[in-house]
Formats: sequence, C-alpha cells, structure tokens
Amino acid sequence: MLRKILLYNNLLNKIIQVPDKIVFRWGMLFPVIVLICISFITLKYTSVNSSFLSSTFTKQIVWFGMGSVVFILAQWIRIQYFQEYAYHLYGLLIILIGITYFMPVIGGSQRWIILGPVSFQPSEIGKLLLVFVIARVLADQKGNMNEIKLLLFILIMAIIPALMVFKQPDFGTAIVYGFIAIPMLYWSGIRSFYLFSVIAPFVSIISAFNIYIFSIWMGILVLVIYFNQPKITIGVSQFMVNIGCGIMSPFIWNNILYSHQKERILTLLNPAQDPHGAGYQVIQSIIAIGSGGIWGKGVGEGTQTQLRYLPVRDTDFIVSVIGEEMGLLGITVILVVFFTMLYWIIVYAGIISNRFSSLTLIGFASILFIHLAVNMGMTVGLLPVTGLPAPFLSYGGSFLLSCMLILALSTNIINHHI
Amino acid sequence: MPKFKKVQLVLAGIFAILFFRFYHLQIYQHSKYEAKAGNNSVRKISLHAPRGIIYDRNGIPIVDNRQIYDLSVIPFDVTNQFDYQMVSNRTGVSSNELKEKIAKGKKSFHRFRPIPIKRHIDFETRSHLEENKLSLPGTIFSEFPARTYPVKAKLTHVLGYLRAVTDLTISIPNQELDYKLGDVFGFSGIERMYESILRGRDGTEFRLVDIYGIDHGVYQDNPGQQPTPGKSLNLSIDSKLQALIEDLFTGKKGAAVCMMPQSGEVLAFVSAPDYDLNSFAGPVPIELWEGWNSDLERPLINRGIQGLYPPGSTFKLIGAALAKEGGKVDKSWTVNCNGVYHLGDRDFHCWNTAGHGTVNLDKAIFQSCNIYFYHLIQKLSFNNWKVMAENFGFGAPTGIDLLGEKGGLVPGKTYMNNKYGRYGWATGNLLTFIIGQGDILVTPIQVAQMMNIIATRGNTKTPHLLLDSPSENITLSLKSTTWDFLQQATWSVVNHENGTGKAAKINGCEVHGKTGTAQNPHGENHSWFAGYLVKEGVPILSLAILVEHGGKGSVEAALISHKIFKYAQKNITL
Repeated sequence: MLRKILLYNNLLNKIIQVPDKIVFRWGMLFPVIVLICISFITLKYTSVNSSFLSSTFTKQIVWFGMGSVVFILAQWIRIQYFQEYAYHLYGLLIILIGITYFMPVIGGSQRWIILGPVSFQPSEIGKLLLVFVIARVLADQKGNMNEIKLLLFILIMAIIPALMVFKQPDFGTAIVYGFIAIPMLYWSGIRSFYLFSVIAPFVSIISAFNIYIFSIWMGILVLVIYFNQPKITIGVSQFMVNIGCGIMSPFIWNNILYSHQKERILTLLNPAQDPHGAGYQVIQSIIAIGSGGIWGKGVGEGTQTQLRYLPVRDTDFIVSVIGEEMGLLGITVILVVFFTMLYWIIVYAGIISNRFSSLTLIGFASILFIHLAVNMGMTVGLLPVTGLPAPFLSYGGSFLLSCMLILALSTNIINHHI
Repeated sequence: MPKFKKVQLVLAGIFAILFFRFYHLQIYQHSKYEAKAGNNSVRKISLHAPRGIIYDRNGIPIVDNRQIYDLSVIPFDVTNQFDYQMVSNRTGVSSNELKEKIAKGKKSFHRFRPIPIKRHIDFETRSHLEENKLSLPGTIFSEFPARTYPVKAKLTHVLGYLRAVTDLTISIPNQELDYKLGDVFGFSGIERMYESILRGRDGTEFRLVDIYGIDHGVYQDNPGQQPTPGKSLNLSIDSKLQALIEDLFTGKKGAAVCMMPQSGEVLAFVSAPDYDLNSFAGPVPIELWEGWNSDLERPLINRGIQGLYPPGSTFKLIGAALAKEGGKVDKSWTVNCNGVYHLGDRDFHCWNTAGHGTVNLDKAIFQSCNIYFYHLIQKLSFNNWKVMAENFGFGAPTGIDLLGEKGGLVPGKTYMNNKYGRYGWATGNLLTFIIGQGDILVTPIQVAQMMNIIATRGNTKTPHLLLDSPSENITLSLKSTTWDFLQQATWSVVNHENGTGKAAKINGCEVHGKTGTAQNPHGENHSWFAGYLVKEGVPILSLAILVEHGGKGSVEAALISHKIFKYAQKNITL
C-alpha cells in the first residue's frame, strides 16, 4: 500500500512542480483578451436567434472559463517532464491516431476517439506533443549529428503523424504538423540552405503549372544555389530534382490523376470554379469582407452574416464576419494584437538559453501562427479552404482549450527560466 | 541581426501581406463587393395593382376584385403530422404527388423556400385549410388579385376574361404595360379593350431574404413604390335589363342588342349560349377554355358582333327606303299577292301561301309581303340598293368598342360576278336579296343600328359600351317623307291589327319594329325582331333580337322584345 502511494507520489513529483512565481506576461496575454472579446461580441450576434443556453456565445464563455482554470493549473506542470518523456508521448500520439482508424466515421472523417460519452481528437493535443519531441531531438543532438541527417530525421518524425492525420482525412492538421518543424529547425541553427532545399521541390511542383512563374522560380533557385556554393554535384542534382518535379507534375496531372481528383484540387486552387461547394463559401466570404469597408456594417448588421450567406460563420469563417461587421478596423486590430503576441513569444524564446524550452516556445508560436495565417488566407481566397480555425476567435471548445494551454505552458516556461 | 529579429521580420512580412489583401478587398474593391452583398440579400417583390372596377350605367359594380390565393408549402416546416389527404381533398392535388414533392423539397438546399402546391384557390378553400392549420404545418398562402362578378347579369361576352402571361413575347396585346410572367391581362371583351385603363401599375417592394429564402422583412433603405390601382370604368349597360334578357335567353341560342337610339349607348348585350365567368378563380384555366372552344354550341363566339345571319324581312326596310327616297312608288302602286311569284322557270313564294291580296308599300311592310318586294326590286337599281344598305351601316363593322367585330356582307355586282361568274347570276338572286336572303349576312348589332338610324331620322352615334365616351356621329340625310314612311311603317308592323309584330306591342308607349324570319341552311328559320320604343315622343330604346332556329320572327323574337319594351317603359329614361 505504502509502496503504491510512494510510487504514485513519485509520478506526481515527475509531473507537478510548485512554481516559484506566477507572472502574467501581458505582452502575450493582453492580445488574447482582445481577441477573446472580439470573438464574444461576434458570436453574441451570430447566435442571436438561438436560446441563451444553446447559443455559441454562452458556450464559448463557459469554455473560456474552463480555459482560464486550465491556464492556472498548467502553471504547476513540471515542464521538464515533457522533455524527459517526449519519445514516449510521441509513441503514444502515433498509437492514438492509429486507434482513430477503428473509430466510427463522423462527418466524413475519423478524427475522434470515442469512449462512451467522452470523445476527443488526439491530433489536437498531438500538435503540442510533436513540438515537444522535435524540441527534444533538436536539443539533444546539438552538434552530435550530421545536419542533413538531423534534418531528414526531424522531417520524417513530423511527416509520419502528418500523413496519418491526412488519411483521417484532416488536411488542415496535416499542414500544421508539416509546418511546425520548419521554424523549429531554423531556430535550432540548421543552415538555411538545407531548409530551402527541402521546401524547394514543393514550390517547383506547384509553380510548374504556369511557365512564367516556373521560369522565375527556376531563376531564384539557380541564384540561391549559386550563392550558397555547395559542391558542384549537389548543386546540379538539386537543380535537376527541381526541374524534374516541375516537368513531372503536369504530366501526372494530365495522365495519371482521375478527373474527380483533379476537380478537388482545382477547387482548392480556384474557388470560383465550384460556386456551390467550397468555392461558394470563399466567394461569399470575400463578398462579406469586401462589403465591410473601413468601418464595417456594424456589429450584428452584416447582411452576409445575418442572412446566412456566410457558411460556418461561427468557426472557420468568423474572420469574414469580423471583416464584414467591424471592417478593416477590426481586421487590423486582430493582425496587430496577434503579431504582438507572437512577437513577445519570439522575444522570450530568444532570451531563454535552455534549448528545449526555447525551441518549444518557437514551436508553440508556429502552431498559433499557421492556424491564423491559413485561416485568414482562406477567408480572402489566398489559400485553399482547409478547415483550420482562427486561434481565440473561432467558436470551438477543445480548440480554445488547446490554444489556452499553449499560452499557459509558454507562460510556465518563461516563468521557469526568467 | 539576431535570429529572433529575423523571425519577427518574416512574421511581420506575412502579416503585412494579409493586411494588404484585406486592404485591397475592403478599401480598393469595396464598392464592387458592397453591390454584390446587396444583390445577394435584397429581393425585389412586385405588389399587384388591383384592376379597375367596372360599373354599369347606374353605378352598380358588375366586375369587382377579390383576393384569391396561391397555396405553397415550406418543405422544412412540414412534419409527420401533415395531413396530405386533407390538402388533396380540398385542392385536388394527388396526395402521393404532394408527398413526393415535399420529400424532395426537404432534401434540397432550398428547403426553406416555399414550393407552390396549388394556384388560385378561393377564399373558402383557404379558410378550410386555415382552420386546420395545426395539421398542416408549413403551409402558406399568398394573395393574388382576381375578378368577381357580383351581379346577376353575366354579361359574359362584353366583359371578357383574363389570362395569365405565360410567354412574354407572344400572348400580350399591350406590350408597353410592363408585364411579367404570371401577370394577368385582359384577353377578350372590355377587359382587353380597356386593358390600359384597367390594369394600373404594379408597385415594388424590396425585402431582405436570407440564403434559404426566409423573409426578414422590408429593406429599410429603399421603400420601393406603392402600386397604382387601375382606373374604374362605367359601362352604358343597364345590368338589370341585361339580367332580364339573359333570363329570357335561357336555353336558347341567339343574340340581343339594346341601345339608346340617339347616343348609341349599349344598354344590354346578350350572346347565348355563354359561359360563367364566376365558375373559376383567377385567369381562365386552359382546360376550361379548350372545353368552350370545342363546344359545338360555340359559346366563345360573340353572336352580337360576330354572328353572321341572313337578316330576313327586316331588310325589306332598305328596299322600302330606297323606293321612297327615289320616288319610284307611291301608295297607289299595288301588287296582287296570291302567294307565289313566277320568274322564268322558278317559283318564289310569299311566307303567306294563301296570299295577301292587293298590297301597297305600307301593307307590304306590316304584313311583310314578299311578292310585293319581288316586283319592287325590278323597279329599283341593284347598285342603289347596295348603297342604301351601306348607308344604313350594313357591310361594315359598326365600330363598337369590342374586338373581333365582323362586317357582314352586302353583295354588289362585283361580288356576284366574282362569285358566280358574269352570267352565273340573274334577277332571281336580286329577288332573294330584297327580302334579306341569299348572300346577305348581317350581325345583330348592325340590325340594331339600323333601328337607331330610323328612330333618330339619321342622327345617331356609333354604338359603344363605355359610358360618356366620345363616339362618332352617324348622319344619314334622307327625305323627310322617307323617314316618315319608315317610322310609320314600322309602327304599323306592331300596331296594325294584321301587323306581323303585334306580339311586341305594349300599352302606353309607341313601339316600332320589323319582324324577320330568316331561312338558313342549318335547320329551322332564325327568328328576328328589330325595333324601337318611343316614350313621350322620344325614342329611348332600340333593339335587335335574334333567336337562332326560333321559327317565325313574329312569335319568338317579338315576344322577347315585348318583355324588353315593358321593362324599358318603366325603367329607362334619357
């Protein structure tokens, strides 16, 4: 019995640590308060027709309350735990995502693990776990490993869960998984040229569909290779790989893909081609934002929003609602405060000398950034519709909780080191 | 530069790209998207202008408006309780079809948008359905203006009916009146003739509509425009007289036209058989119209202006007028009628096979002796006779304000040569013309107009239905003695003890008239009576009555005229 308690106590000691101090970093937290307020005001008027208890406005307030509790509790977490057990947690993530394949299909995808009344989406918390494991690898391997091997290792670590969620299918989360490794790798000090080499083939594939853009891109590629002066064989082979990707992609497009697959991809690229599907949503979103003007139509006065021309206005397209009702003013406020938040996280990451903690902060900032950028890019038709919500703005309990958790752990890390 | 600064710089760059994209949409392209947002949500609804009301000469409304309704269902609101059978029973739409329609609507994106179930249901049906609203969730009614005919007089052929616009390019007579699909327009009768007065101008309203078609009320920024109701019309019709005559024509075929001799105002206008304008709601359903169209009795024909008949003996007045005007005959010129007249190898009979004995012009009119006229025509010129007939308005439309009027036919030499060849016709044909048979065709309104001319001694006006409307004068100058003779002769027809029109006589007023019995190839003779009523020295009513296959004019048509005169004596004043 005593052994058991001691064992349990031992485990608790691993996870819990009484913080020396709890300092609220207002440079990070004030933007969150502004964003949450904008979200509440918007939801208040988009849910004006539903009853008080069932409205997204009320629910989001409850979720925010829970998020605040989580924020405080998270200050007691011993952050080194995640460093020590990063590989275990990564393994757990792979297993949990694997389990989702055996779960029932909900809304066309298998993202959830359902245990009786409780259901959760492992890929959501997985974003944090992936940050931990990449930070751990990069922190551990300082100078011990060949840079290229390290790069490939990290990329494989990121791509395995990315492909797994892509198969669920969850395109948005796959993008997040694929993206967060890149700023972290950069932050870890890996040569920019290597990172560039990894990203370049993807750009080649996409730019190949327009001969002018492809030519310009090839020019940039040659210049970058020239100024970085790799071995001649590496430089030439890199160039050849990119040319090859460029030539292959139209060939695959024209001869191998089925028409319905092409359609799906085209819709991603050009929403106007499919005015009733995903393209329809983007068209309505652009109309909403464009008609908002500088000052907006006034809260609750947006015709696109209130007359339901805007789809999923509480979640994916809440930025469009803000653009319509609060205008460029509201959008500017969002951009400014969000930038401020990320700015301060990066500042702290620069100050903290502990590699794991510093890299973790960069990973967290990457998660928040990619969500906002993809979401806002989607609402104005710059990026395809992927279903990534906007942090602190979109309605959705678990997503708000994980965003709050990211902020909480960031605060925890910063307080621990500074 | 420290690494974190570089990262912040890249970040700032990406945020700047986002900002400029929003700036581009919200400032640079603002007006374009503002217009698009407006088009999305604002719907233009047209508000039906009520058509003008039509009154009779005494201010009694004979065509009024009523609301009928279009039944629609919002599929989303239909629950399992929905009583398909009840809707089916009330509207005649099969319940299976209804179920299918609604089930399909429920699945569609537009499940909040009303789908039409049945157009043009009347108030009663609507009330029944409304009472059971609880078992009919999702049903809505929209108003649609229709006509109602509140008086007993049907006046079918005068009023005409409405049709819905189904094809904007073909079916509408007055394109400039801004029609939309589904609008109604006057297709026949007065409704068509005075469409531009009756129609009014539809208003518009702008309403906010959401993506599902749910209405969110009037758009405040643009109040739209109220509809301008159509102007009302006053007809010269006396609806009570009209109802009386319609009654008299029950079960008969034929036409009756009553006018005021001096003004040409039409007091009553009957064409039988007719059809019931009250028997349907809204525009004429196509099946019903096709039914009328294929009916052998041809109820769609307006016999008063489109029915072409031989005038029979009423036409003898033309020959008599010509004889008098030309001074060809006087009282002393007589003919002996023994019932038959031989011309070449043909026998021409008088209607009275026993013969009228010695006949002068007076007697030839009031006893309607054919033999006298057989002799008379041979003293007259065929050309002059044709001109005289045309002077009395035959051979051309009278110009009444109804569409589709026919002109009839007064044959002349050219016509006969064309039809029968130069030597294919002879005096024998003329003998039939003078007594109103043969190729001559007239409409009842022309016959009534002849009575106007006689009653006013050649000073009347074009027949018309719209009260107080300017209409053309008709003047015919004949010798005073000719008018005297015509009036005297027609008086004798009714008032002489042997007059053929005795049946039309009434006490206390002076009735003039002429009977006609028109032979026709389709069966029993048509019965004619044309005449006018003089009250206190003033002609107040003229009429022409035609009963198809009614036998002798002295009976059927004269009896009807008698009843009309009796009514007029009491009720009509100038």
